[in-house]
This record gives sequence, structure tokens and C-alpha cells, in this order.
Amino acid sequence: MTPHLAQAADRLREVTVEIYGSGGVGAGILWAPDLVVTNAHVARAPCLRVGLADERQVDAHLIIADRRADLALFRIPHCGAAPAALGDSDALRVGALVVALGHPLGLRRTLTAGVVHALGPARPGGRRWIHADVRLAPGNSGGPLADTAGQVVGINTMIAGGLALAIPINDVRRFVTSTLASAT
Amino acid sequence: MTTVMDLSNALASAVERASGWVLAVHGRPRLPSTGVHWRGGLIVTANHTVEPDREVTLTGPDGRSLPASVAGRDPSLDIAVLRAAVDGVPAADIADDGDVRVGHLVMALGAGPRASAGIVSALDVRRGRHAAGELLAVDLTLYPGFSGGPLVDVRGRIIGITTSGASRHLQCAVRATAVTRLVEHVIRGGRIPRAYLGVGTQPVELPDALRERLGLAQRTAIIVVSVKPDSPAAAAGLIIGDIILSIDGRAIAEPEDLVAVLQPDRVGAAVAMIILRGGEPREFPVTVGERPSRA
Repeated sequence: MTPHLAQAADRLREVTVEIYGSGGVGAGILWAPDLVVTNAHVARAPCLRVGLADERQVDAHLIIADRRADLALFRIPHCGAAPAALGDSDALRVGALVVALGHPLGLRRTLTAGVVHALGPARPGGRRWIHADVRLAPGNSGGPLADTAGQVVGINTMIAGGLALAIPINDVRRFVTSTLASAT
Repeated sequence: MTTVMDLSNALASAVERASGWVLAVHGRPRLPSTGVHWRGGLIVTANHTVEPDREVTLTGPDGRSLPASVAGRDPSLDIAVLRAAVDGVPAADIADDGDVRVGHLVMALGAGPRASAGIVSALDVRRGRHAAGELLAVDLTLYPGFSGGPLVDVRGRIIGITTSGASRHLQCAVRATAVTRLVEHVIRGGRIPRAYLGVGTQPVELPDALRERLGLAQRTAIIVVSVKPDSPAAAAGLIIGDIILSIDGRAIAEPEDLVAVLQPDRVGAAVAMIILRGGEPREFPVTVGERPSRA
């Protein structure tokens, strides 16, 4: 049983990047060999440094930041690495095991685990979140929440009442697709 | 070999299954708590989440709102039993909690459904008024509103009721067997009787010389500081200044031990109380009474 989760963790480590902003290190996801997705609150500059899993550091240029959705998309030089495998956040079930990868309190590529706590808005009428019973800390923001196969199902964005709140990956997928469609 | 993905699916299925008999309990202002349809229209929740003299409503798994009434309370276990017409809400699948071991994977559930996972960290926890064999300690987060909700195993079967009322520092659950005992009281007699002696007590230290002479392991006992007239204690001949050392062979070191001994099933039972009077131990047979209801 253990090797499977360890394999998932290895894959996640390879697609989790460091985002060097003004306020310490945040996390991001390698979406494509030349694209990084993170939270808008993590990446507040149009140009910043991104640390890849193989220790390389590259320049990243902002394509778009949506503060309301708290999502940002950056272009990096084609890095040759395999991008993140994406899951289907609509298929998530309460109680399912999930893992988070990020840099909590600056501790690089740290894995924490738990279960899906709830699915839905945090308050009536609000946006949909994945609520996860997973320990996060500052530095996890922008990083992946993934299922046991290592498929990314959300982007860790907030900590509320001890719970991890993640943006469902299907919402992120729509954000990236519409951004790239309007940019070309 | 079972993969971790199978485990993940099993946990999600356990939540799906157990959430069918979980209800939201509105028995206090603002934050609703959680309840479980134990059987026959009796819903179990945490006593501290149902305020006295308050209308109680439930929200079923399908979103229906249902009126409920309090059928019985056991403040020492922090369990309240409610009665409601919960047609269509299945009765819970209760596991044999005797099979529970330290390290077992468990989940706490809230209405919604909401879930949090962890492990059983200790069995036979004795805290304050709780007797051994009634509480489990768990290493998981009880989120606001989880009190009164089920602790389930990986199959979704209920092994206990979680409550934040048992301890400020430990996350605890009342074992399913202890809860079933209370529910059976309600089924048989329509209420949960509260055992009663009619004494007020304070802890006292036992002098070393006395302990040596009597061969006592306990360092403290409780001294009687008041005796209610016409109470079981008065009928047995207890007087102010008596020191209660043990009841039915169980050492009484602090007032909480008395509450732990006085379980609902003890009502009407004769117990042997060892009393220290004038430096000499004596045995008093006492018939446990039922606490008179508040006038």
C-alpha cells in the first residue's frame, strides 16, 4: 500500500514549483512544460523567479492574474519536464484520501495527508471549494491537492478554521483554457 | 493487495453510507450539532448541544426539517436521546465496539456530510466523571458542529458518538455500547433514570498511618458534607463526617468517582459502601435511588 502513495508523492514533487514573491516562498503547479498555475495572492509581480523540482530557477512572466478567482497563469521557458496529471474534481467524494504538496513555512516539497471534509461553498451563496481535513501552512498556497493516484484535484488556496480550502481543478482548467483561448 | 486507492474509495463509501442516518440537530443558538438515528425514532446527540427548555428541530439527510423532543439525558456521558418521526431515515448500523483497537483508522462525521479522519489513540480512557470502558480517545479533528455525530470505522459502521464536551484537551467518543445502554433505558422506561444517593461530598487526603493500618492503596477519599433528608444515603444511616472509601469494591478517590459508579442501571440496586467512621471502616448496604426530577 505504501509504495503507491509514495509514487504519487514523487510525481507531485516533480510538478510542484517554488514561486519567489515578495513575501517568502509560495507554491505553484507545472501545468504544461512552459506554463505554471498558482494563486493570484502568491504571485503579485508581472515577472518573478520560479524554482523547478530539478533545482533549476527560471524567469516567469505573467499571462493573467484574476484576483477574484485567486488564480494566476505564468509562462516559463520550456523546461522539458512532464506536467501535472489532472484529476476530475467533480468526481471527488467526501471521505476520500487526499494529499497536499507545498512549502509550508518554507519547508520545501512537504507532503501532508488527510481526507476530503466537505464539498461546496464555505458560506451560503459563495463559490465552491474543496474543504480538506489536511494540515496546511503558509507556503502551501498555490500548490496541488491531489488524490491517491497523484492526480491534481485542486489548488490549495486558504486555511479556514483549520481546514484546507482548495479551488476545484475543473474550475482551474476552465480558467486556463479560456485564458489561453483569448490570448491567441 | 489492497491499494491506497481502494482504501480511499472505501472511506468515501463509508461516509456516503453513514451519512444516511446522520441528522443536523438544532438545539442551541447558531451552531447546529450532529445526531444519529440509533433506532426506532430515537436520535442520539451530545447533551451539551441541546439546551434545556428549548424547541429542538432536526434536519434530515434529505434536507427535511423535523420537530423533536428530548426523551432522556445523561449529563455524565454527555449524551441526549431525542424522539422524532424520522420516517425514511434508516437506523444506524452499530458496530461491536469491542473489536476496536488502538491504531484503527476511524472517521468523525458531521451533517452535510462533513468528514475528518484519524486513528483510535487510546481505549478505556478515564476522564473526570467517565468510567472506564465508556470513552475512546481519537487522534482526529472534531470540527465545530461535529459534537453528537458518529465515529465510524472504515465500513461506515458506528463505533461511538463524538463529543467535545468530554475533555478540553483530548478528542473523545462515547462508545456505542454505552450509548445503546442509554437508548434501551428510553425504550424500556421512556426516560434515562439518574442514579442518586443524596450526599454532598468533598475530597479528603488519607493520613499515611491510617492507609498503612487499613492497607489502602488510595491516597484520597471523599467526605460526606451533607445528607439530604429522606434520601437513600439517609435511609442507609450515613451522617456528615463519614468518609466514603469504596463502593462495591471500587475505590472512591474523588467526587467524580461517585458519579462514575452511579450509572443509570444502578437505580434500585443494592451496593456495598465502605465507610470510615471514627477511624474504623464499616460496611453500609445502600439501595441506590433515582434522582427526583427538578420541581
